Order: sequence, then structure tokens, then C-alpha cells
Amino acid sequence: MQEEKYLICEDSIEGVFSGIYDAYALREGHEHLHLQIGEEENLRLFAYYLNIQPDSVKTRKVAETIQRRLGTETYMSICRALATEDAGKGEAVYKVVVDGITGGSGRRVMENAANPHVDLVFRLARKASNEITHLLEFIRFQELRQGILYARTGPKCNIVSFLMPHFADRLPLENFIIHDEKRQLYGVHPKGKEWYLVSGPEEVTKDVMQMSEKEEEYQELFTMFCHTIAIKERINLKLQQQMLPLRFQEYMIEFAKS
Amino acid sequence: MEFRIQTEMSIMDKLNILADAAKYDVSCSSSGSARRGDGKGIGNTVKAGLCHSFAADGRCISLLKILFTNECIFDCKYCMNRRSNDVPRASFTPDEVCELTMEFYRRNYIEGLFLSSGILYSPDYTMELICQTVYKLRTVYRFQGYVHVKAIPGADPALVRKAGFLADRISVNLELATAESLKKLAPNKHRKNILGPMKQIQNGIIQSRNEVVLYDHAPRFCEAGQSTQMIVGATPESDYQIMAVAESLYQKFSLKRVYYSAFVNVNQDKDLPALPGGPPLLREHRLYQADWLLRFYDFTVDELLTQDRPNFNMMIDPKADWAVRHLELFPVEINRADYHLLLRIPGIGVKSAKRIVSARRFGALTFEDLKKIGVVLKRALYFITCGGRMMYPTKIEENYIVRNLTYQGPDGRKEKRLFAADGMRYEQMSLFS
Repeated sequence: MQEEKYLICEDSIEGVFSGIYDAYALREGHEHLHLQIGEEENLRLFAYYLNIQPDSVKTRKVAETIQRRLGTETYMSICRALATEDAGKGEAVYKVVVDGITGGSGRRVMENAANPHVDLVFRLARKASNEITHLLEFIRFQELRQGILYARTGPKCNIVSFLMPHFADRLPLENFIIHDEKRQLYGVHPKGKEWYLVSGPEEVTKDVMQMSEKEEEYQELFTMFCHTIAIKERINLKLQQQMLPLRFQEYMIEFAKS
Repeated sequence: MEFRIQTEMSIMDKLNILADAAKYDVSCSSSGSARRGDGKGIGNTVKAGLCHSFAADGRCISLLKILFTNECIFDCKYCMNRRSNDVPRASFTPDEVCELTMEFYRRNYIEGLFLSSGILYSPDYTMELICQTVYKLRTVYRFQGYVHVKAIPGADPALVRKAGFLADRISVNLELATAESLKKLAPNKHRKNILGPMKQIQNGIIQSRNEVVLYDHAPRFCEAGQSTQMIVGATPESDYQIMAVAESLYQKFSLKRVYYSAFVNVNQDKDLPALPGGPPLLREHRLYQADWLLRFYDFTVDELLTQDRPNFNMMIDPKADWAVRHLELFPVEINRADYHLLLRIPGIGVKSAKRIVSARRFGALTFEDLKKIGVVLKRALYFITCGGRMMYPTKIEENYIVRNLTYQGPDGRKEKRLFAADGMRYEQMSLFS
């Protein structure tokens, strides 16, 4: 029986792509190789573990190969799937890449819905993609005294970097920040410049976070608008909650006071 | 004697009155145009549209939906803002509309502006005001987000054309499916004043698309297409009449969307039906389901309804209803049927049908795979086979299938599992079955 080998990578796109690079570099066939994200609590008996160092050159090579051989759409699905928190995402992405490049299905690889790895990557990518769309819709900027727009979020997936291009295109002349409270990540967009990500401190001092004078007025106006626009003969709170789950409402100003 | 002198209203009061007056307009979509920002202003648009919030009635809030003014010279019987009603009246100024839009937009509350209006002085005057406002929003405030405006029936075509170059979508409300009903309930509106601008907008869109092919920078006319809306349940039209009108609007006027609005009786007018059970929401729902069948599933109205069966079945949806009346076509083999036939199976939507077609190239699909793909087997199982087998031993018989599709458990909820783990169905025997 051949020994199972586990490549342990960091939980990031860079970590997983470096792992895929190293898996190919081993030249041992892929059946007994597995990608695992982070250490496991219960180590397996008769298994061999290898730690993978994230490496930017390897990452770039793997990213380019995926885009060229599997197409941009598959590449985007893979990136989105890796933004989720699922423990099996590394293994699934690795096996999808192997299936596409070595197995020969190429750009068609994501169409093979009956393959369990493809199915998992598809479902994870859809999950991240749905959350990205939801946050594009539901995040609320508040204007701070300095004129900066600030948005609090607490997404399940690590998706701030997917939100930034949309808002950078939409609000090019604004200074704005999108804050992921769960990961302490800040997407920062300075007026008229490129956006970037910052991994920030736990607490931001209170006096920096004061609202501008007009802010409260507009929050009230919008809250009132949301209230007025509903037709009372059609009230359907269940439908409202189905379309707009409670975990998003927590961050939305129109639900804050009710 | 008491006098009340109108003082300057606050923006809060105006928004309250004019949003309240606009809420019966259904359309709130922000889809249809994809435009990136040019880096010098504010805003872009997303092809699929975005819904920024949901109101307590479950309808999406995508656009700042307001009337410019609720003063109106018309006297439409179904409308809250009709001339003969005594309601508080208010009007915005163009700057107020622009500022509200900008401030809401940069906070990510809305996707853009939906501007309609009561008819102040004359249709031309009102249309001119709408144009001015949107022009200001586009040029002075440099707003590049989504704008939906109403074309006022009876306004000068030149003004409608101007609005078309400024807005992403224009709509003219058909209001009622037949000319007789329109005459009865909206005495100031005429069918030709509604269909005229519709035709004009359609021609404008076609012309603009042709120009854009030749010159990339040609101005875009009403890029997201036009839509309209019909009131359902205020007049005696059948579903068949309503759907036939919708179908011809899609075919002859290339409309992007037709909206159906369950009638809400706000005026208690003698010519309008009393609705003790509330607005006909289920009927509206069936019309939307059928509308989707027309637009995405290659159905025609004549397949769904006929003169003898002019209304939809309230028990099951139009697609299942069609399927149980065409059992000669079923069961369908999933691994062989073409895309159009797959689309006709209850429980399979556009996405599942596409995924089935691409996934079966890699190998035969099983029921387990279908479940992963997203097929609703609970509904589809009566109509499909995988590899020549049906999922459970079922009868292909109209009454049996309808009974199962509408089966409700003893507590009134829809039963999750009609079939036991071994695929058998155990039921109480009845002398009458």
C-alpha cells in the first residue's frame, strides 16, 4: 500500500497555489497526495505530512497556468471557493486543477457536476459569490467627520478584496473604508487612487469614528423611506427576512433603530 | 373661519409624502445596463441589478422611488393622487431630488433614482420638469448610476426622446389590459397616448443600438430597455386576456419587462371592486410565474391558457399545470432530452437545465447527481427517468400527480417526504379513491 501524503498549506490563495505547485513538483502521481489547510488535530497513522511555505513566484505560475489552461471563469470560481471557510476547500481545488490539467477536461472542468470535487468547488464558489453580491447590496457607508465613508461588515467568507473593485469604480472620488470585523481587515480606498488592504488593530479609537453632522439626518431619511415605501396591505415579514437575512440586518442603518 | 397657510415643508415631510405616493409603482429593478464609472463622477451600473434593501412587504428597494410632485390634473379612479382626493400635496425641486439621490447613493442605500410624477399643469410641463431634473443629475452632479423615469402619457415626443438619452430605463404604464377598462377607470388617459410613446421608445432603442454598432461613442438611448405595468383585479379581465396583452407587448414592442400589480383599493370608489380578502396576491404570483415561462422557458400564452380555460389554476403553478395536461410527453429521459424539453419539466429551471446539458457530456447522470445540480426532485420525480428508471414507483396519471403535488400534511404544512426511504408510499386506503 502506498503511503498517503498530506501537504499542509496556509489558509490563503497563495498557500493553496504554492501547495499545488509543490504537489506537481513531487512527480508522484496525484492519487495519494492531498492538500490540507492548517494543522489537523488528529494526525493520521501511516500518513506522511509536509509543510508548504507560501511562495509568490510559485503562486503566480500556478495562477497563470490555471487561467491559461482552465480559463478565467474557472480561475475566478477557484479564487471565490478559497475565500470560504470550508476545511475541504484546498483538497477540492487541488483535485479540480488536476482533473482539468492532467485529466484533460481543460476549460470544461467545472461542467462536470457529477464529480464530487467539482461539485464542492462549485458550491463553495457559489456561496462566496452569493455573499459578495449580498454585501455589494447591503453594506452601508456612514460618513465620518473627516468626510470618510466607513462601512462595517462581518461576512462569513473572506471577501473584502472582492468588494473593493466594485466600490472603487463606483465611488472614485471618495475616501472610503470597508471593515471586516471578523478578520480585522480593512479595504482602503483613497480618493482618486488605487485601493489596498490593511490588516488592522482590534480597536479603533472612538473619537476617530465620530459621525458627520449630516449623517444622522440621512440615516433618518432613509429609514423613513424604507418604512413608507412598504404597502401595508401586502406586509410580509417572512418574505422580507428570506430576502434579507438577519445577519445582514445587524449592519444596516435602516434596521438599527427598529 | 380657519385658514391654513402652506408653509415651507421640510425635506423629511416631502420625502414621506412623495415616496408614499410612488409606492404603488411596482418596477424597482436596476438591471439591464452595464456601465463602468469614468472616474470623474460617481456611480456605475451592474448588468444584473442590485437590491439594496427589502421593505416590510418583502419588495426590494433598489431605487429611490419617488414622485416629483403628487399634484395631478388627472382623475384616475384607482389612484391615491387623483384630482378629487383630499391628500397632502408636495413637490420637490430638481436640486432636492439630486441631493437626495447623491447622498443616498454614496452611502450605498440605493442603486439610483426612479422618478415618476403626478401631472402638474400639463403633460408637457411635467415631462419637462423630469427631464430638467435628470439632466441636472447627470451633468451638474455627474451621476452615472441607474435612472428610471416615467414617460408621461400625452407628453411631446421630443421630451420623451430627451429623457431617453438621460435615463437607463423608461416606462409608460399601460395600467389596464383593455381599452374599455382604461376608459372607465382613467378617463383622462387614452390608449393611443400610452402605446404611442411605447412605440417611439422602441424605435429609439433600435436606432441607438444600430448607431452604437457603428460608432462606439454614440449616445445610448434607454440602454436598459423599457417596461410597463398593469393593474390586476380592478377590472374583470381574465388571466388569458392579461397574458395575451403581455405577450404582444414583448413581441411587438420588445419590452424588457411587464409588471403586474395586484389591485389595492385605496379610494373605495364605487366603480372599483371591494376586496375583503386583501389584494389578489396569489393571482399576481401566478401571472409572474407565467410571465417567466414566456420570457425564459419558450412557452406561449396559448399553451398555458385558452378561451375555455381563461384563468390560472390557483392550486398548482402554470408549468406544473401544463405538464399534468400533457402527460403524453412524459416521463422524459434526463440523459437524452434536448434543452427545450428539459425546461418544460416541473422542478427544473433554466440553471439546472443548462447544468444538466453540460454535465451529461461527462457521463450518465443519476438522481443523486440531479439533486446536487439543483433539480427539485420533489416536483420533478413524476416526470423524469434517469437511465430508463423512474425514481419511485409512481403512476403517470393526472389526478394522482396533482394530488401528490398539492399534498398537505395533517398539520396543514406541505409534507416534506411523501415517499418512505424504500421509495414506497404508504397511505390510508379509502373507499372513494
